[in-house]
Amino acid sequence: MSKAAIHYSFDHEHLLGINGLHPLDITHILDLANDYAEATRAGRRADPVLSGKTVVNLFFENSTRTMSSFEIAARRLGADVISMPVAQSSVKKGETLIDTAMTLNAMKPDVLVVRHSASGGAKLLSRKVDCAVVNAGDGTHEHPTQGLLDTLTIRRNKGRVEGLKVVICGDITHSRVARSTTLALHLLGAEVHLCAPRTLMPSGTETWGAASATSDFDAALAGADVVMMLRLQLERMDGAYLPSRREYFRYFGLTQERLALAKDDALVMHPGPMNRGIEIESAIADGDRSVITEQVEMGVAVREAVLHLLAGGRP
Amino acid sequence: MSLSIYNARLLDPATGLDGPGAILIEDGMIREVSSGATAPHATAAESLDAGGLCLAPGLIDLRVKTGEPGDEQKETLATASRAAVAGGVTSLVVMPDTQPVIDDVALVRFISDRAKASAQARIYPAGALTTGLKGEAMAEIGLMADAGAVLFTNGDSPVTNASIQKRAMTYAASRSAIVMSRPDDAALKGSGVMNGGAFAARKGLAGIPPEAEWIGAARDLMLAEATGCTLILDQVSTPRTLDLVRQSRDRGASVFTTIAAHSLFFNEIDVGDYLTYCKVNPPFRDEDTRQAMISALAAGEIDAVVSAHDPQPPEEKRLPFGEASFGAAGLETTLAALLSLVHDGPLDLLGALAPLTCRPADMLGLPQGRLAAATPADIILFDPGKPWLCDRDELLSRSTNSPFDGRRLQGRVMKTLIGGKFVFTR
Repeated sequence: MSKAAIHYSFDHEHLLGINGLHPLDITHILDLANDYAEATRAGRRADPVLSGKTVVNLFFENSTRTMSSFEIAARRLGADVISMPVAQSSVKKGETLIDTAMTLNAMKPDVLVVRHSASGGAKLLSRKVDCAVVNAGDGTHEHPTQGLLDTLTIRRNKGRVEGLKVVICGDITHSRVARSTTLALHLLGAEVHLCAPRTLMPSGTETWGAASATSDFDAALAGADVVMMLRLQLERMDGAYLPSRREYFRYFGLTQERLALAKDDALVMHPGPMNRGIEIESAIADGDRSVITEQVEMGVAVREAVLHLLAGGRP
Repeated sequence: MSLSIYNARLLDPATGLDGPGAILIEDGMIREVSSGATAPHATAAESLDAGGLCLAPGLIDLRVKTGEPGDEQKETLATASRAAVAGGVTSLVVMPDTQPVIDDVALVRFISDRAKASAQARIYPAGALTTGLKGEAMAEIGLMADAGAVLFTNGDSPVTNASIQKRAMTYAASRSAIVMSRPDDAALKGSGVMNGGAFAARKGLAGIPPEAEWIGAARDLMLAEATGCTLILDQVSTPRTLDLVRQSRDRGASVFTTIAAHSLFFNEIDVGDYLTYCKVNPPFRDEDTRQAMISALAAGEIDAVVSAHDPQPPEEKRLPFGEASFGAAGLETTLAALLSLVHDGPLDLLGALAPLTCRPADMLGLPQGRLAAATPADIILFDPGKPWLCDRDELLSRSTNSPFDGRRLQGRVMKTLIGGKFVFTR
């Protein structure tokens, strides 16, 4: 056991972002998540470390996938789970956030998993409640469990993260996944290259740890170990940020020819849900280099690890 | 009734006076300014030993929002003026962004009447430039000016149609009315909520790019040149805007600029973890820009400093950053914000006071704002070194959305006089 491991303890109250985590924290979460993934694959039941604990899923934005993933993770650890898909009503959104949070807080949950359309939504909520808060996506800011599951998927398939060349392509400006995944991969020593049309590339991506930011996808792909495509919101392709879908696909769509520019064993990833034929060809999404379904599988494992560390005592 | 205030450090930015002395007040007016005097005026019925405090003209604030009429839960003219005098502000121009909008003579008179009945500070109404601030039809600029409106502005919603802006400025010029305009291109500002740049991108917040200010400023400056209208660019926040102003002045335009005191104190990083009290427009810029604006102020390139007082109740601020309203309470912290620049070095005391006193007075043609005989005795006594902790629970305005909450400040108003009467004593 290394010296660092001996003295290590995960002492975060909440998981609001990758920003603020130490590489050791990330490694620790990934190790635990990997154990959970292997246990599930082997058909072993996890210890009910969250027995008697209450996890509340509070989703102000619809997301069946992420909410289900958290729900399954919490149940596997023996927690009582309540999922609340809070529809965006005509009531002022923020009031709904704080008022709902205060109400739920009074019911003494152990963990609140929150998704909100506003950047900083989870942070605001964490100031108002007494329990642990997990950010399941706040606006265009962060989606830390996605960053962790992406990193775990890469580590499992490549055996390491350090030194890998990862290309993330798509709408970087509006992507919380891009922020969290870039931060996490950078902290573990990967070289992350961001690629987007100039209208969807924010400034200052070097402060997230990105090695480069470009709008030349072909050049970025050279020698890549991992290619991660992001979902492009269809409403952004109506001429406001991009001329058209077909022009986007022409320059930024992942095709077989383009994938050939990356390393032969390059992984293909996508946080889902995919726009087949717009950002990625179906054949690639379903091909043997795609680890997209494994990402979903690792999502549950990572969420088990996060819930365990925040509410289940020392592993 | 006469009062002599002696043993004071007299500060008059209008004349450059900075030295010991005494002043004599009679019938609400300054009768005599006696530089070098060490004793009270012999003719005075009463005297006050200032104990070495700084004695300066009361501050004149060109941009204050209240909630009266329509949003009295945010702030009334009375509560704003209570906060104002505690902050040393004795004259304030109130914005027309109320409900209803101050866009006709009756409403201008309403503000004046309410102010006389309820407010300690001198209140000057600003009239709406366009009816309902809708940016569609010009308001009754001439009649409102006759009724006492000191300037005309579309407040926080600048006119987007350049043709309407041009006509309003043309008309205002013919009535010798001053137009104040926020340089802010609505389309470029878009849904931005903080300074555009790397920090906003990292926080996942939509940015307000500086081009929004430059393009807004360029339009209004060119229209000022074309129409001859006197223009106040309201709350500039970047040095490049000042470059544009310089060019227009060289072409003969009559242009003034203001800056919000808080933007001289904070930078974008102060937004931190989505602190909505730091959500203002123009947004806090980056540190280089802040420093450049401080240098510009020190060089006299910015005419006036305003509080940009904009009271917002908790329900408007206890929201995710993107959904919270813009605006910061500022009346009680403006002087301290400027004094921090004196303590840190870039400004001297007179340089800090000029944009808060004689310069805004000259812009509006007001007699006060200076220590001169036969001008209104609006006076503050302040201790420039007095340390204090800004605690929002102790602020006097009805809404206490101050970005200074929790900050240690240095320099505080001890007494405020308006028309020779004590309206505030700490």
